[in-house]
Amino acid sequence: MEAFFKKFSAFSAATILLILTSIFVVLFLYAKPAIKEYGLKFLIDSRWDVVVNDSNIKMATAALNQNTTDIDNEIIPTDDDLDIIEDNDLKDIPMDDDLNIEQENNVSDTKVIYGGLIPIVGTILSTILAMLFAVPIAMGIAVFLSEIAPPFISRPVGIAIELLAAIPSIIYGMWGLFYFGPFVSKIFGGGSVSLLVAGLVLGIMVIPFIASLTRDSMKTTPNVLKESAYAMGATKFEVIRDVIFPYAKKGIIGSIILALGRALGETMAVAFVIGGVFSFPHKITDPTVSIPVVLANNFAESSGMSLSVLFYLALILFVISFVVISFAKFYFLRDKR
Amino acid sequence: MRFLINKVVLFLSTVAAILGLLFLFWILITLTIKGVCAINLHIFTNDLVNNGLRNLLVGQFVLAFIAVLIGVPIGMIAGVYLQEYSFGSKYAEVIRNLSDVMMSAPSIVIGTFVYAVIVNPVGHMNGWAGAVALAIMMIPIVLRTTDDMLFLVPKELREAGVAIGAPKYKVIFDIILKAAKVGIMTGFLLAFARIVGETAPLLFTSGNSEYFTLDLNNEFPSLTVAIYNLATMPDKNLVDIAWAGAFILTLFVLVINLFGRYIIKEKK
Amino acid sequence: MNLEKVMDIKNFSFTYAGANKPSLKKINLPVYEKKVTALIGPSGCGKSTLLRSLNRIHDLYPGNKYKGEILLKDFETGKMKNILEYKKENELINLRQRVGMIFQKPTPFPMSIYDNIAYGLRLQGKKNKAELDEKVEEALKGAALWDEVKERLKDDARGLSGGQQQRLCIARAIAVEPEVLLMDEPTSALDPISTIAIEELVAKLKDKVTIVIVTHNMQQASRISDYTAYMYLGELIEFGTTEQIFLNPKNKNTADYIAGKFG
Repeated sequence: MEAFFKKFSAFSAATILLILTSIFVVLFLYAKPAIKEYGLKFLIDSRWDVVVNDSNIKMATAALNQNTTDIDNEIIPTDDDLDIIEDNDLKDIPMDDDLNIEQENNVSDTKVIYGGLIPIVGTILSTILAMLFAVPIAMGIAVFLSEIAPPFISRPVGIAIELLAAIPSIIYGMWGLFYFGPFVSKIFGGGSVSLLVAGLVLGIMVIPFIASLTRDSMKTTPNVLKESAYAMGATKFEVIRDVIFPYAKKGIIGSIILALGRALGETMAVAFVIGGVFSFPHKITDPTVSIPVVLANNFAESSGMSLSVLFYLALILFVISFVVISFAKFYFLRDKR
Repeated sequence: MRFLINKVVLFLSTVAAILGLLFLFWILITLTIKGVCAINLHIFTNDLVNNGLRNLLVGQFVLAFIAVLIGVPIGMIAGVYLQEYSFGSKYAEVIRNLSDVMMSAPSIVIGTFVYAVIVNPVGHMNGWAGAVALAIMMIPIVLRTTDDMLFLVPKELREAGVAIGAPKYKVIFDIILKAAKVGIMTGFLLAFARIVGETAPLLFTSGNSEYFTLDLNNEFPSLTVAIYNLATMPDKNLVDIAWAGAFILTLFVLVINLFGRYIIKEKK
Repeated sequence: MNLEKVMDIKNFSFTYAGANKPSLKKINLPVYEKKVTALIGPSGCGKSTLLRSLNRIHDLYPGNKYKGEILLKDFETGKMKNILEYKKENELINLRQRVGMIFQKPTPFPMSIYDNIAYGLRLQGKKNKAELDEKVEEALKGAALWDEVKERLKDDARGLSGGQQQRLCIARAIAVEPEVLLMDEPTSALDPISTIAIEELVAKLKDKVTIVIVTHNMQQASRISDYTAYMYLGELIEFGTTEQIFLNPKNKNTADYIAGKFG
């Protein structure tokens, strides 16, 4: 029994590893057709679902010989069997003057282009906006709770801030859509759904997270250090600036980066208020999209190459947030027992 | 001059706190007003197909409950492994930190993963996929809580259990887990509150259904997904239902949170 | 006087995991049957480390190294067996049922008073309620706790006072009828009255159980023990009858410690 339990519990612990690697592998496998098709240019291509005449195909068609061969006209690979069509296949299409085949070729000399630049940019911009808004406010709250407020205030306010963290993100989305968005548009102009609104709502969402982690880090400062500074006549602000923050620096920076990683992947709060328009925001008050929003809006109806493209986006998102969060965790916030 | 800066900074900090509170109250108040207005007996006794919330409330709860059945044992026993069998090892440190990383990972990506692994082979969305997605989100949370709570158990208690001749697994079950029981249960509760409010992982795994059903092999009703769909409808009645659902959901989540924190405080 | 050794420590050295130097160096020490042996010495001398080696509780923490022998008398064959050679789980479990331990901090299990005492018995496979009731009562009486708790055996043991909890732990340990009872500073966390109660208990118990007790309180050692071992920086400096050690120490170091010149 003892041996069994030990093995079983070891296996349970390993599920973390198992799940994480599985996610990578599965996402990659499903994204592979799109990766093969669009390569790394996907990251900088801003076209989405655009049909294009591919001149490569036209030229190949023209230069063909007379051999009759079965042509696989499928440009779009199916998702189920993960067969990957080599780029070469397109160029090697043999041809003859048979009318039928020429007609099929007319259909096949167009290609659908997907590029992930707009959602990637949208994700990054909305997150940066959120952090610019959230960090100063969260720092202020942390300072207030740990250094300014007397216990009879800090306790209920602290609980209130933690309740903010517990509110499901979809609620933030609804509130943003119906109340906060219009409010922002009244002040800043532009529509009531935009990059700006999304950034701010996202910011409000991460404020409690940053505030409580910062507060925890600040609390680790030994009292004796603070007392020595006060004893020298320092003001509260000076103690915070010169003693507490430097001491807690690692934890605070780590919390901010961790919050950034979380904000990158947030879906519901952003989906309601970012606008869902697949174009670059030329002004901050323009609507746009982010990766999670594209996934949420398009996943259910997609198949074939377009589904693979979505997986490509999901993989990109996962890799970016995994890297950011791991950096925060392993470099700043490591838990050693 | 120094004192002026000090006063300004402290003032700004207080303003920040007030701002935070402002947002909280703004959200809660609008939620309550819109939500309470839309609550009536009808939404509790009818399903979505008839503009009610009944099937959604039940469905969301069922999904979360199954997620608990799957995620909690795995997470808890994994936490036990980290504390009791591999304490202090590098491996434990890595797993612990990876688990935290997983906690912050985008929930929609977990949805795409489960879509690929369950929905695609099956051929259509189903309740099991949704529950599994939620379970995957639960595991790192439960692992962490169990880990933290077991850490607090004094080592003498472990030694006393071993000293009387109990094999390790008995020491863990009879003594240590019991000693940490309150903290661990509270952890479950808070993890439950967290996943019951999730939307993204369900969007394309279990989807939604307008009908009352307990059939997990097909699209399954979900309050959160329904709110997402309803809130953007042009029909004001449907939006009101979304508000009602949002209000009930938030109330539920906040109550559990407050209750959980109260228990932890009492324990101390 | 029949002086039988129930345990014999021979050339025993112990190094903690990750340490460069051993914490115990070549200890040679007999443990006489049905006597109380006290281990005394200043902080860090290794007395607790030595005690905890006697039931191999160090094994909970990987990486420690043993050298030498710790012999325990096998009462069926009369032969001495080296407990350091035990590798299998059930050998160690068996060892710990024969060599019990009381800790500095009282460690009641999170269960009722009755279940605490019955725990070791149930581990041994005893299920019969009448038998369990009888042994629980016997153990509680042996620990001088019966009268105080007999009306509330179903209550959670954590509700008892510190002194009562420690007596509970003693009752729990003696319920399985061990041959040796190890006590690691059992009264240092208790008030003076509870301390006296425990000391009286030790005097009573030694008729049935061999006791090895670690204490940093010299007066306690001189009050309750038959034999005393004085340790310093991981070595055994002197061993003898308590009377001899306290009234006529042969080693200057011992004498200085006894006189309170350090430690």
